[in-house]
Amino acid sequence: MTLAWQQDQKRLTPDEVQAATFPLSRLGRRGYDEEHVREFLREVERELVTLLNEKVSLWNEVERLRKRIITGMKQGDAVLFGREDAHVHAVRILSNAQLTADRYVADAQAYSHKLTEEARTRRDEILLEAQQHADMVLEEAQSRARQAALATLNAPGGQSVETDRSALKAELAYLRTFGEVYRTHLRAYTEGMLRSIAEWEHNEAGAIAQATADAGNQFDTGRH
Amino acid sequence: MDALRLKDSFSKVVMHGDEVPLFFYSDLFIKHPEVRDLFPISMRVQREHLIGALAQIVTQVDRVDELGVFLQDLGRDHRKFGALAEHYDAVGDSLLATLAHFAGDAWTPEIAADWTDAYRLVADAMMAAARADEASRPACWQATVISCERKAFDVSVLQVRPEPRLDFLPGQSVAIETPQRPRLWRYYSIANAPRQDGTLDFHVRLIDGGAVSIALTYGQAVGDSLRLGPPVGVLTLDTTSRRDILMVAGSTGLAPLKAITQQVSGLAKPPHVHLFFCAKAADGLYDLPSLEKLAAEYHWLTVVPTVTADRRANGEKGTIPDVVTRAGNWSGHDAYLAGPTEMVRDVSARLAAGGTARERIHVEDFGWSEP
Repeated sequence: MTLAWQQDQKRLTPDEVQAATFPLSRLGRRGYDEEHVREFLREVERELVTLLNEKVSLWNEVERLRKRIITGMKQGDAVLFGREDAHVHAVRILSNAQLTADRYVADAQAYSHKLTEEARTRRDEILLEAQQHADMVLEEAQSRARQAALATLNAPGGQSVETDRSALKAELAYLRTFGEVYRTHLRAYTEGMLRSIAEWEHNEAGAIAQATADAGNQFDTGRH
Repeated sequence: MDALRLKDSFSKVVMHGDEVPLFFYSDLFIKHPEVRDLFPISMRVQREHLIGALAQIVTQVDRVDELGVFLQDLGRDHRKFGALAEHYDAVGDSLLATLAHFAGDAWTPEIAADWTDAYRLVADAMMAAARADEASRPACWQATVISCERKAFDVSVLQVRPEPRLDFLPGQSVAIETPQRPRLWRYYSIANAPRQDGTLDFHVRLIDGGAVSIALTYGQAVGDSLRLGPPVGVLTLDTTSRRDILMVAGSTGLAPLKAITQQVSGLAKPPHVHLFFCAKAADGLYDLPSLEKLAAEYHWLTVVPTVTADRRANGEKGTIPDVVTRAGNWSGHDAYLAGPTEMVRDVSARLAAGGTARERIHVEDFGWSEP
């Protein structure tokens, strides 16, 4: 038996759809958006593949039914579900299970990709922020210390005999101010850290309490 | 065997897309459930590989010489997957069933005979190569983790001891499988020259969403076991050359170049080695302390840390090809490059443009893109 649709004439294949190209329209003339055309071609290709597969399944089904009728007539009683049918069904079931497993693995991988990527971005942001903050603190401490040193140097009473002494004083003022500014920032930073830890603990305690309450409620509804 | 008829029938079957390998593996696993264990949980990549290999075989079926090399590699490669001689019949059986299923009424006894002959040819070549390989080495090596050290937030250095001893050339790679990700093999370069005690170092970088790299960077403890495939790769030292050496390593591409550097240190008259170690940010230069120690020890070694996207870092800055070309004229050097595919390609093109002969630019061409 040769079915009409199995005839060996030139047919459009999914590959040809995928490889199809169109010349661009001349400048200034309206044409279709290329990406839309591509998307549609991809859809057509998928549809063709699906049709081909449905066709082959149907053909195999017809073949099996035909054989069943023939053997059934010979043996006098029709076999409703032969070994071959069982095997093809088993293949289909296993294929579906495999596709489901593939999808789970792909989803898990995509999720892990997203998580690590976000963590990496967040890490870079935090590092950059910290660096900028450190730069700022350093700059501020330096400029204020410089001012303090200048003030000491220009203070009245700074005679030429006392040049060494006043230079030392200026340096001392520089270092003292530098240290003060730095300590102030360090204190502010540490306090900020402590505050976020406290906040974190508070949130966690709240979440645990909430979860316990939810579990209790569920238990209650379960008993009703 | 009619090659043209074979190609024609394959092109018709392959139109059915992913359904073809899906049917093949399901058919194989139902008839031989014990074979399922030789494959990973997700079969997506496996199915693509199967169709790819079949396409290559069918294309070259009338050019047996070219095909022979491919099939020998394939046969040897399948040893570590646990493929045995009896599996070949099972696979042939399911392959024929699959082709018959998708060919529909185009499946004739002549085409069936073509495919039977072609598969015989393929299976015989693969099995012969596997048997020859068996005489010289095991299918794979069991290795025990001796240490696992985090070097950066996304890079770990693993030290393992394979059993039995694994012989290799500095710069070569092996495929690694961890029990946490059964049946997934990924290539990693060995980061040291052969040692007396046979231990091997691997530099493993976490790849976002990578199935194996995450298990290797974060999941290994001392005493854990891994499996290693046979050593492969062509990024090895040209010992006949007397020229000085330029090395450019991007991130964990350092591993094979470090191994080669260690090999150079054992030569009677080491050539000068100029090694650029490149990363995006300063903390990506995970192995710099150990390199600087080597540079202090060996007068012939210059290490140039290079950072491409971190304004605060010390050292050379800019794109890697720029930094390398700026630093000197390399036309008289042998170059060894390893790292991300793009980096290797760009540096290689720049060196060639600068007069370094293509055959003196040594690169590896796999592994880096695999997650």
